[in-house]
Formats: sequence, structure tokens, C-alpha cells
Amino acid sequence: MEIPYVVTPRKDTGLFNSKIAIWLFLASEVMLFGGFFSAYVFLRLGADYPWPERTLPVLPGLINTFVLIGSSVTVVFAWAALKMRQWNKFRMHMTITVVCAGVFMVLKGIEYSVKFHHQAVRLHDYTVVEGHLGYEMEDGKHVLDHHGHHIEENQIRIEATGLTFSTVRFHADWVEEMITQAEHRKAKITLASDIKARTEEGSSEEVTIAKAGEPLSVELLKRVQDAHLKARAHNGALRTAALRQEWAEAKAANPGKRGWQLASNVNIDVKALEDSKRMLTEISTASFKVEPAARMDFKPRDVKEGATQSRLRDDTVIDGKMLASPMVFHNVDAIDFRHLAMKAVEKGQDPIVAIENSWLIKNDEFARKAWEWNKQEVAKLEKKLIDEYGIDEKTGKPKREPTAKERYRLGWQDLARKAESEGHGKLGAVERITEEFKGPNYEARGKETFPELSVPREEIRFASKFTPSWNTYYAIYFTITGLHGLHVIGGALVLAYYLLFGRKMYETNPEWLANRVEVGGLFWHFVDLVWIFVFPIFYLM
Amino acid sequence: MSSHATTHSGHDAHHDDHHHDPGFIRKYVFSTDHKMIGIQYGITAMLFLAFGFYLMMVMRWSIAFPHQPLPEWMSWVFTDSWKARWLQDGKVTGETYNMFGAMHGTIMVFLGIVPLGFGAFGNYVTPLQIGAPDMAFPRLNMMSYWIYLAGGLVMCASFFMESGAAKSGWTNYSPLAGFADGQIVNQWLAGQTQWLLGLVLLITSSLLGSVNFITTIINLRARGMTWMRMPFFVWAMLVTGFLLLLAFPPLEAAGIMQLMDRVAHSSFFMPSGLFTKSEGLADLSGGGSPLLFQHLFWFLGHPEVYVLLLPAFACVSEIIPANTRKPLWGYKSMVYSVLVLGFLSFIVWAHHMYMTGMGAAVSTFFQTTTVLISVPSVVIITSMLISLWGGSIRFTPPMLWACAFIPMFGIGGLTGLPLAFNLADLHLHDTYYVIGHFHYVVAPGILFGFFAGVVHWYPKITGRYMSSWLNHLHFWPSLVCMNIIFFPMLLQGMAGFHRRWYNGGDAYLAKAADSANVFGKTVAAHIDMNILMSMGAWTMALAQIPFIINLFISWKTGRKVESDNPWEATTLEWATPTPPGHGNFTFDPAVYRGPYEYSRPDCDKDFLPQWIEPKREESADAADAAKTPAAHH
Repeated sequence: MEIPYVVTPRKDTGLFNSKIAIWLFLASEVMLFGGFFSAYVFLRLGADYPWPERTLPVLPGLINTFVLIGSSVTVVFAWAALKMRQWNKFRMHMTITVVCAGVFMVLKGIEYSVKFHHQAVRLHDYTVVEGHLGYEMEDGKHVLDHHGHHIEENQIRIEATGLTFSTVRFHADWVEEMITQAEHRKAKITLASDIKARTEEGSSEEVTIAKAGEPLSVELLKRVQDAHLKARAHNGALRTAALRQEWAEAKAANPGKRGWQLASNVNIDVKALEDSKRMLTEISTASFKVEPAARMDFKPRDVKEGATQSRLRDDTVIDGKMLASPMVFHNVDAIDFRHLAMKAVEKGQDPIVAIENSWLIKNDEFARKAWEWNKQEVAKLEKKLIDEYGIDEKTGKPKREPTAKERYRLGWQDLARKAESEGHGKLGAVERITEEFKGPNYEARGKETFPELSVPREEIRFASKFTPSWNTYYAIYFTITGLHGLHVIGGALVLAYYLLFGRKMYETNPEWLANRVEVGGLFWHFVDLVWIFVFPIFYLM
Repeated sequence: MSSHATTHSGHDAHHDDHHHDPGFIRKYVFSTDHKMIGIQYGITAMLFLAFGFYLMMVMRWSIAFPHQPLPEWMSWVFTDSWKARWLQDGKVTGETYNMFGAMHGTIMVFLGIVPLGFGAFGNYVTPLQIGAPDMAFPRLNMMSYWIYLAGGLVMCASFFMESGAAKSGWTNYSPLAGFADGQIVNQWLAGQTQWLLGLVLLITSSLLGSVNFITTIINLRARGMTWMRMPFFVWAMLVTGFLLLLAFPPLEAAGIMQLMDRVAHSSFFMPSGLFTKSEGLADLSGGGSPLLFQHLFWFLGHPEVYVLLLPAFACVSEIIPANTRKPLWGYKSMVYSVLVLGFLSFIVWAHHMYMTGMGAAVSTFFQTTTVLISVPSVVIITSMLISLWGGSIRFTPPMLWACAFIPMFGIGGLTGLPLAFNLADLHLHDTYYVIGHFHYVVAPGILFGFFAGVVHWYPKITGRYMSSWLNHLHFWPSLVCMNIIFFPMLLQGMAGFHRRWYNGGDAYLAKAADSANVFGKTVAAHIDMNILMSMGAWTMALAQIPFIINLFISWKTGRKVESDNPWEATTLEWATPTPPGHGNFTFDPAVYRGPYEYSRPDCDKDFLPQWIEPKREESADAADAAKTPAAHH
């Protein structure tokens, strides 16, 4: 059996099968990205925070645009070369196409990784501070977690005296981390009291499952968990049977009554069940003590902190008082009052007053000076705009005014400009171009440009890396560009396959290979087209 | 059409290709033959339907007898450990009910009906009816099936996890769905996340499927199979393909965004300042829009309704002409209607969202389009009805189901109209009325259409008829039970029964025993219907047993067909050997006329198949033959 119209087009439709298929597929891709772009519009129009505008590095984006357009041209050349049966020319053009895809992904990768290491925090008064976090140090050395990774100075610190685990839900990785931390601080985590349980129906003796003083381990918790789950299943069956019995009796005693009329009086006699010694002991929690009381650090997202008792997401309860847990920026590279100003205007307050009353301005010398410098810069800019565009005669106001971003945000370029005007952190040309790709160069510019800052935990409203969780702009940016990146990789893999493994088909059925390259090329054009939308929407608007 | 199997000898034509006998695995498991894939889809989908049905039986227990332990004849499937986790002293808890409810909907829609209608019937019948040797992309076809199966298994695997399966309704609205299972540290092992992963796989599968179907229909039609000679079945599949192709991607976008909300903690659908009892003030950036999810979901959700429905229309519209022995009435208007229906289904989605406060103007727009879309549906169903008129109907087993389809779907469709109107919907929204409405469409409507299809094409698939006696034993109780289950829902809905009460209104009675609603109806007066409806549901499970027996027994022991065209039908699938071999046709198929040429006055027999070459006047020499449509190149 052979499927017709794989290679030659059908006369009345003028198309071979895969060409129809790719156009249909692209139609559905249009709907997919259409869904995402609609979401972008929806989110941007409905945003209740200042939408970040022109925050992404334009230069790498621009280079990527040309790289993709170029590769769209070479993929057509490659196809034309196949049509003319020029294998070597095909190989050259296809190689360029695939290399372009590689360049695109490398630039994208740099862009992503810079963001993944960049921290932002929104304070309670809606001031936003951006920069790089420091790492936990002791005696001049990095503290490591049990995976051997550095720990950022953004931890909830608790002086733990006791830990109570849910035996069903405990997260093994976190248990390991607690054990490591306790060892590091020379403390011991041991079982607080014997765990005894009836493990056989009817037996009056209780079996000791774990003894007081046994050190915490995942194995110990699993042992308790096994006993608990077995007991839970056993007891569940017993209780169900008892309830069935109760209902049978209730129905026999009250003929003609509906279930909902009887329900409130039909209950199991739990005490009788327990006295019968048929129930096994359920051990839903296991408590440990920490001796001597030791500091333990937890990631802010994993813990609901309290003054004397905190709770992890896996239901582990930590007894002990919370210590000061500041978030420490090694380098602050932006201070942003736009959100604060927006909230002040919503409340009918003067944004400038609100900014000058903010926690940051009141508590940080650098921020105060930077804000004063910024006010002068804004005044200069206002004057410049009036000189350039004049004043509207009807309203008496300047025709153009500085944007909210210019008024209220001190980005890293602003901070660099400020420091340079004071004679700090002069950079060479190469370093400046590198900054266009990799963001501010903290080492070369130094602490005069990007100072340290410690933010107390209670001032923090929300903190995140520059990842999808920071705000809906970064969420949609990462989702669309990430999906586009996957399309680039997928397309490049297919094209590379024709390049590397197409020779055999070229010799037996070159027209079929040309069809395949044509279809792959159509997809490649689509990938390019998506980027043509992505670039202005995310980088320029 | 370059090569086909070579002999004409009916039944064992598929044994011919000895030189590429594919072996058991390639033939029955990783098959690329559209017919085998169709059967795989069919069996898998029916298993999922049975599972979804089972979930519903447990829910119906909770509704009818909320305070009593699940009886052993239903609970034996679970292990003690599972029961201890999810049942409280053997009673169904609200959480478990929500889980079963969400998964019942999901399984029935995405894993049951769509794969059965589009995957099974579409795959088996479409290439046969257009005279193609297979689908345009057989390997892609195989992949669609396996991705579908993987998606289904991923979704159902979560029943056995600590988190349980998804619990936020089949619509999975945020922020409810965003918070669900938030306590699970490894989000990849949470039921709610698995639901999204499964969904993305299912969407991928239907996407591949729809590309394949549309390409096949456009490019692989036999000679002479012009657009207006295509059976209505093929038209319906073409439109279904386009609906899947264009409506599913926005849901995929929504699914990906919700996945990001779960695993990357973004706030696509989470508004600012969200506070929950379990988490307190959410540790999220906020700024997202719950309404956005609803828009994206229903942009798929509504066309999806027609993805369910059109394959059932397709089956019934083939069965009616074959059993009334007259052409399908209004074939062309049906074709245009189905096209209009397909288009309109893209602009009605927000009628599911009248209660979200979109604004009166938006609501009015969607009310208008929703009322409009009933016009093409009514044209189609009326054409079917008129097709019966004046025919000498053969009440064959498939015709029985097809005849029941029309009024049952009619009830489902017409009860939808009050919901289309803003004003009526304000009262009926989220009540059992809605449940009754769409279940009338899907269960006694669409499923009856599919039962008709199974019985109709079974002789082509196996070479044997299904037992008529067992079919009666299946049909009549099913018909009665369907109405016992779903008709009271309409009444309960008008009395104000909320669709998500896991205890059937019992807790409501405890608070407000005699409060009457705007219709003057009370919950107290309607609560005993729960027991009747649940009894109907469980009886219906029994009524499916004859079908299952019939499906397997008849394969070996059913009455053998007398010819390749046992129903004396006119469309091309009956021109193949029984069962059709790999490559389908034993001759180069060509089409000479429309699909429903029954009872032509100029013909001796009461049917004239599409593939029979017309008799020529006088000399049928080579020159004349070249002018016939068969010779067009």
C-alpha cells in the first residue's frame, strides 16, 4: 500500500499532503500564539501595577531579530539549491540556518540567566529595590546546603527547639537539609519520646516503633509512616463496618424514614471500638527536640513564619522563636518608586511626599542621596523638554513632560551615570558593550555605584528573582519567549536532520527531500514571524 | 491510487499481503492502519467511559445517601489504604466528591466522547468513505493514539497520589485550581498539575489528529468524489477537525499558563491581594486575571461541545437513509448548516460566563450569537426528522438507536435555549437544570448516536452482525434509565438545586427547610428525587452489560454477513472486502454520484451505490468511456 500525493501534488488541489498539513499546523500555531498575545493584551490593560516598559536589553534582541531574518533567507536558498539539485550549496545554506538558530539560542540563554540571578523586592510601601543578593558566609567561607550549593542571604531564620513532622506528608529533601544544618551548628535532633503502638488487632501489648533519643532520619520517619498507614487502613475498615451496622439498625428501627431524617442520630461508638482493642494506633505526627536550640534557615516560600512557631508547606511544625532574617543585597542596582507613586496618586496623595516618607529614603543614606540627585536630573529634563517642545498655550502646561519611569525610577544606567558624575566606576568600551548583554558590571563599577543594602523581613511585601513569579509582565515574557525558543530548537533539530541525514534521500528521491525542506522552511518562517511580533511587544513597547 | 490489495475474494482479502505481514505487534499494537487505530481508540475510549461512569455512580451515592457508607458492591475496587485516605468512615467526603466530579467531567469529555467520536468512528470510517487507502499520515495517526493514551494515563494516575486527582471541576477555574494541592511540595506529583500535563498531551494528540483528518479529506478523495458527493459523515468530520485545530490551542495556552502559575509561581490568573484560609495572604505577585482563564477555557469549551456532537450527527445521518431507503432530506442545507455551525461555535463562548460581570453589552452579544447557533442545529435535526417521513423504515438495531437520538438530542438542545438568555440564566446558572440540559445532549443524545454507529459498522469491522436480541436488552432499559436520571434534574434545577452539592441538598435543608425560590418551588419537595435518579443510574450500569457481552460474543458467534454490503447502503465503505484489508480497496475506487441514491425510480434495486459505474447507452467503447467522470485526471 502506498499513500498517494506524498511527493507529487494532486492535480485539482495543486498540493502535496505535507504542504496542506503544515499550513493547517501553522493555523493552529497562530491560534496558540494568538491565545498568548491576547493574554498579553488582557494582562497589560488590566495591570494594577506600573507595567514595565522597555526594560529588556534591546541590543541582543535586535541582533537576534536580524539573525532570524537572515536564517529565513538562507533556508529558502537551501530549498532552491535542492530544487536545482546542488547538494553542496544546499549544505552550505542549511548549515548557516542551523548556526543562526544556535546564535539565537545562546543570546537568549544569556538574557535568561541574567534574569534568573537578579533579585527584586517589593516593600510594604511599594518601593521596589533590585539587585544581587549576597551569600551566607561564616569565617570567610560560603555556607553550603546539603546539596553543596551556596545559600543566599534571604532565609527565614528560626532558633529551633523542636520539630514535629507529619508522618504522611514530610518532604524527605527538607528533612535531609535540617539534619545537615543541625550538624553544622553542632546540635542534635532526637526523638522526643518513645513511639509505641498497637500493631496487631486484639493485642494488649504495644510495640515500640522508635525509642526516645533516636536521631532524626528519613528512614525513621518512613518506619513510623508505614505503621501509621497500616493502622489508618485497618481502622478505616473497622469504622466503616461499624457505621454500616449502625445504619442497618437505625433503618430497621425507623421504617419509612428518610436517611436525612435519621442522619443526626446515627453515629459510631468510637469509645467502644477503642476499648475492644481492635483499633490499631495511628501515629500521624512525630516530635523531635533540638538540643541545644540551634538556628535553622528556611527558604521564605517554604515557610509560614510566626514569632514562636512556624510551619513548613509539608506540615512540619517548628517550635522556636524567629530571629532577625534580613534580605541582604550585595549590590543594589535599581530603586523604583513608580508603584509607590501610583498607589499614592490612587489615594490622592502627593507622590513626592510619599516617596520622601518611604522606609527606604528614611533609612538609607545612599537612597536619599540618589533620590536628591534624581530630582535634579528630572528638573533638568523638564527644562530641556520645555526648551525643545515649548508650552501649550491653552493649558499653560509643557507640551511634553518626563514619563513616570524617568521621574520615579533609578535604573542601573542612572546609578552608573550618577556615580560617573562623581568620578567613580569609569569603564572601558569593551566592558560597556558587555554590559549591554550581561547587565551591570558590579566588580568594575564597585560599591560606590551599586551599594549594599539590608532589608528587614518585616518591611518585605513580596520578593522574587526576575522570573515568571516577579510579575505578570515577566510571566508572559518568559512563557512566550520560552515557547518561541522551544519552537526554534524544534525547527533547528528538524532542519539539522535534513542536513545531516538527508544525503541518502537526496540520492534516491531528491524531490521528496525538497518537499520536506520546503515544509520545514515554512515552519521556520513562522518561527521568524512570531519573533517579529515578540521583539517590538516585549523589547520596545 | 497506485497499489491496492489485488483479489476480489471478499472475506479473506487481508490475508493477501503475505510478503509484508507485519507481525502481531505492528498489526495490533503499534499499527499504522487507520482501521486498527480506530478500533484501538474505540476500545480505549469505552474503557474510559466505563471508568467515568463508575465515578458518577459513587457520586450518585453521595447525593442520594450522604450519611451512609459507600456500599461494598461499589467500594470493593478501592484498597483499604485508599479508602482510609479518601472516605470518612466509608462515607464520601466533599473533597472526594469534588475529585470524582472533576475527573468524571474530564474523563467523559476529553478521554471518552471525543476519542470515541472523532478518534474511533472518524478514523475507521472517513478514509473508507472517501475511497482512500489510509490516512494521509499513518504514522502520525499512530502517534495521536499513543499520546492520547499517555495523556489519559497521566491524568488518572493521580488518583493514587497523596494529593489525589484534580478537584477543581473539569473547567479548572483559577484561582481555585491555582491553590488546590498547594500543600504538595513537589508540584509535578500533584493531581492538579498532572491534570494540566495530561491536558497538554491530549491537546497535542487531537492537534495531530485533526491535521491528519483534514489533509486526508482534502487530498485523498477518490476520483469523482467531489465535495458535494461526500457523505454528510465526512463533512461533519471535516468541520470537527477544524474545530479541534483552531479551538484547542487557546486552551493549550491557558493550560501552559496555569502550569506556570503552579510550578513557576507566576500570577497569570491570580489577582492581587488574594487571601485564603489555608495560605493566608498569598505569597504571589498578583496582578493576574481569573477572567482571562475563563475566556481562554470557553474559547475551546464551546466548540468542544460541537466536537462531541458532530460525530454523533455524522453516524445518525448515515444510518437514517440506509434504513429509510430514501435519500437524506436536505443534504445540501445540512452541509451548509454544519459549516455555519462550525463558524458560529467560535463566537458563543462567553454565554458560559454571564455571571462573571462581563457587562451587559458583552452579554447581549453572546446571547445573540447563542440564539443564532440554534438555527443550523435545528436545520440539521429537522432534516433528519423529515428524512424519516414517508420512508418505509427498517427498524434494524442501529436504526433503533438513531430514532431515539433525535428526540433525546431534541430535549437536550431545546432545554439549552433558556440558558442562552441572560435573564433566565441568572436563575438557572449552576443549578441541576444545566446538568440536565447538557447531559441530555451528551448521554442519551451523543452516546445513543455512537451506539447506533457501533451496531451499524460492526458487520464491516468483524464480518458478523451484533445480536439483535441483546441489542433490545441494551436499548430499552438504557432509554428508560436515561430519562429517569436526567429529567428530574431539570425539575430539581428549577427548584434551585446547586450543581455542586455533594450531599444532594441535605445540608441546605438543615438550614432552610421550607424556603421557596422564585418559581415557588422548594428543595424539600424535590430531594427524594435524588434516590430515584441514583437508582436509575445504577440500573443503567446493569443495562450496559448486554452491550459488553454483545460486543465480544458477536465477534466470534454473531450471524455472518451475506455480502460486503449487508445494509444495502450506498457509500464507499461498503465497497471494501469484509473486513477491509490493509489498503482498504481491492479495486481503484471511483465515484459516479451523490452519497444517498436510494429508491431511484429509474433503478431496479432500491439503492444505487456511489461506486457503480453508470450503464452507457449503446456502444460503451473506449472513446465514450474517456468522457465519463470516472476518467477525469
